[in-house]
Amino acid sequence: MFTHSKRRFVQLAGLTIANRILPDWLRARPFSPPRDSGRKVIIVTFGGGVRYSETFSHEGLKNIPQLAKMRPEALFFTSCANAGVLSHFNSTASIITGNWQRVDDFGFQPPASPTLFEYYRKQTGVGPLDAWVIATNKSFSTMGAGSEREWGSPFGANVVLPKQLLLEAVDDVVKKTPQHGVANRDNVLRQLEAILNEGYEGVGWTIFKAGRQLDHHLRNTLTRGLIEFINGPEAPTSGDELTFFITREVMREFGPRLILVNFWDMDVAHWGSYSLYLQAITRTDRLTGMLWEEIRSNPNYKDKTTLLVLPELGRDGDLNTSSNGFLNHRSGDPSCRNVWLLALGAGITRGETDRPIQHIDVAATAAALLGVKTGAISGKPIREILKQAP
Amino acid sequence: MPDQPKVSPFLQVLIDKGVFDQLPVSFSTFFFEQVKEWELLFPAERSYFERLFGLIDRSDPKAVQELFAPLRGVERKMGVNEKVWPKRQFSLDQVDFLNRSAHYPEWRKVIANIFSQIDPLLDAETARASHARLVIIVSPAELPVGPDRMWTRLKDKGKMVSLDLTEEDDVRDYLPQLLTGGKRNDGSKTLVELYAESKAKSLYDTWLIEASDALSTLVTRSAGLVKLSYDNLEVYRTRLMAEVRKILETEDIRGPRQLGAKLKQLKMLSKDIGSDPLLAEFVRSVLLSGNGTLLINNTFVEWATVQAVRRARPSLAVIHFGIRNKVKPFSSLLIYTDQKSSNPIPDQMDSLGSYVDLEVFNYYLWQEFEKHAEYRLNTVYLFVGVGMDEILVIGPPDHSLAASGGRIKLTGIYDQTKKWMNLV
Repeated sequence: MFTHSKRRFVQLAGLTIANRILPDWLRARPFSPPRDSGRKVIIVTFGGGVRYSETFSHEGLKNIPQLAKMRPEALFFTSCANAGVLSHFNSTASIITGNWQRVDDFGFQPPASPTLFEYYRKQTGVGPLDAWVIATNKSFSTMGAGSEREWGSPFGANVVLPKQLLLEAVDDVVKKTPQHGVANRDNVLRQLEAILNEGYEGVGWTIFKAGRQLDHHLRNTLTRGLIEFINGPEAPTSGDELTFFITREVMREFGPRLILVNFWDMDVAHWGSYSLYLQAITRTDRLTGMLWEEIRSNPNYKDKTTLLVLPELGRDGDLNTSSNGFLNHRSGDPSCRNVWLLALGAGITRGETDRPIQHIDVAATAAALLGVKTGAISGKPIREILKQAP
Repeated sequence: MPDQPKVSPFLQVLIDKGVFDQLPVSFSTFFFEQVKEWELLFPAERSYFERLFGLIDRSDPKAVQELFAPLRGVERKMGVNEKVWPKRQFSLDQVDFLNRSAHYPEWRKVIANIFSQIDPLLDAETARASHARLVIIVSPAELPVGPDRMWTRLKDKGKMVSLDLTEEDDVRDYLPQLLTGGKRNDGSKTLVELYAESKAKSLYDTWLIEASDALSTLVTRSAGLVKLSYDNLEVYRTRLMAEVRKILETEDIRGPRQLGAKLKQLKMLSKDIGSDPLLAEFVRSVLLSGNGTLLINNTFVEWATVQAVRRARPSLAVIHFGIRNKVKPFSSLLIYTDQKSSNPIPDQMDSLGSYVDLEVFNYYLWQEFEKHAEYRLNTVYLFVGVGMDEILVIGPPDHSLAASGGRIKLTGIYDQTKKWMNLV
């Protein structure tokens, strides 16, 4: 048929001219997963959703000075699409499973297929301290493992939800000391520690304990994160800042090879304040920059860590006729679905590509970087990232 | 029938004829749900539903069939059947079903396509019955910028008009001069009152929506117009927050949609929002379904305006933003908690943050009005910053302010807008 011939012709023509128009690093090569390289992978999501227009557009760059500074060192994917359900849980679950997830929007169900953490832990046999989810979004308690029987929590990640801890503490302080409330930061710290001492489950955390000593060790590690948070030089108060401090303590103390860090402050956009939304983006940008500094200065991570940064989704566009702009993320318009991905660190060749990738490609890519195989997932390894993997 | 809504006789005839039931279920049930609470719909909404289904009824059945055929196809792919989507039911289950379907983007696309064919026909009817409209959007005096940095997203759509202000002018008389043509102490009637008295098409044709009480104190009349003030609703808002918090603490609420459904059952009326059940429901819904409307004054103003435009299509609207407070450390995490009582730190105004917020909101509001055929080509928009010596005017070319040159007094603006609204 003509249509078939025409399509074939276009394919062949494309192949013929590819050598002339594509840079060398962009050309497709047969992909084979690398062997275990000891590489570490940290995935950072700009959770809550952020639009291109406030980040990597010309006018948005002022909101993300750290990412803008990191970009020349990175491989930047200009088109990373979320083609799934535009809720927070499903978006991030799709990133870490490699399949578009369509489970409960608010984390009352675990992902329907195995997560990257399960693939990694089951195949390598590493313990629970080697895979972590540290999430500001308080509904992510089931993000560490999927619901498939052969996999599941025995191979899942530790999940800690710093903001949920903070919320509980603030709530308690307000109730117990209504006169002083949360104006006294020591009150907040005391309450944070008290909640932690009562056990983790109360705040929705899943931590796989390996004996009393480790539990004690773990608690001390997390408490250090809390103390740094409360006494930080800029008097931090946000959920994302606490997420950062705890992530850094976990990295310093346990050096896990696989971490998902979910920042989420920018979801304040739902409140309808554009300035608060921009402030949250800039804060997340700063924290991501600090995380990158930690990776570069911590001997456990330096030169062996690949950092993947991407928004879990965008937000509705200003021109959308049925929504209310940046306040929501439900329209499914390009502003809501089309975001970006920044890859940097070990084995990454600098550059930029507009080859479209998808959120579900992240799991396949991270698995390959860690030297593990995934099951049958929809996502495809991102060849540009894996090109130089040993 | 138990699920038979009480609607207008005209719509009832269409329901009885099976006009709703002949359409794909994901389309018809949405509207069936909308008309169920007929007494809580504004006249503009009722008119729209009657015109929409009237149009479908009188159209060639073959054309209707063809128009909805792609939607039937998507519904088949999605697995829509009597079990997942009972006839005349559109509940949270259906919303979840749609959202989680792999074909949801396709569904949205075919729905958009259906309306792209229906809307021009309905819009043409609307345009034939059009009349002059006026929208005044006011920014507070405390913004830290001048008119050169105001309305930056809108400037290319209109004209900056210089005002003839004198040093003797008291900023407290700025709004009175614009809205009454005189000073505050003169006690003259406002444009709003004049319109509500003589020209308004219904009780819901004239709206004042504001963050504080600058307009409420100027417009003394309450009958025949809608007045909403974030500050004046404080008692109601606090009670509402307490109720929501109680529900969250005592009941198993899975997420915002479930919370929304629960809150819909919370028929919390109050004298603070008047005795009109339609407006009481409107306010309750704006405060509970709008993001952040309980917490941030300008979000309330924006969302209430968007909803008023979408639902009531006012002919005259005066919107007054305010300065929002700075978000308090820690206690701002507790969304449904009264910030004043949970944190002893005094409230602080965030004027710069408010400026950034309003640059976006001014644009969103103008865009919202212009989405609707009622406003296109016959609406004058005045963007005003209290105390500023320039205003932004967007309007049809035949409006006198669009053609004016030189400086003009605020009272001159009043005269011309009064003329535009045929109030002379």
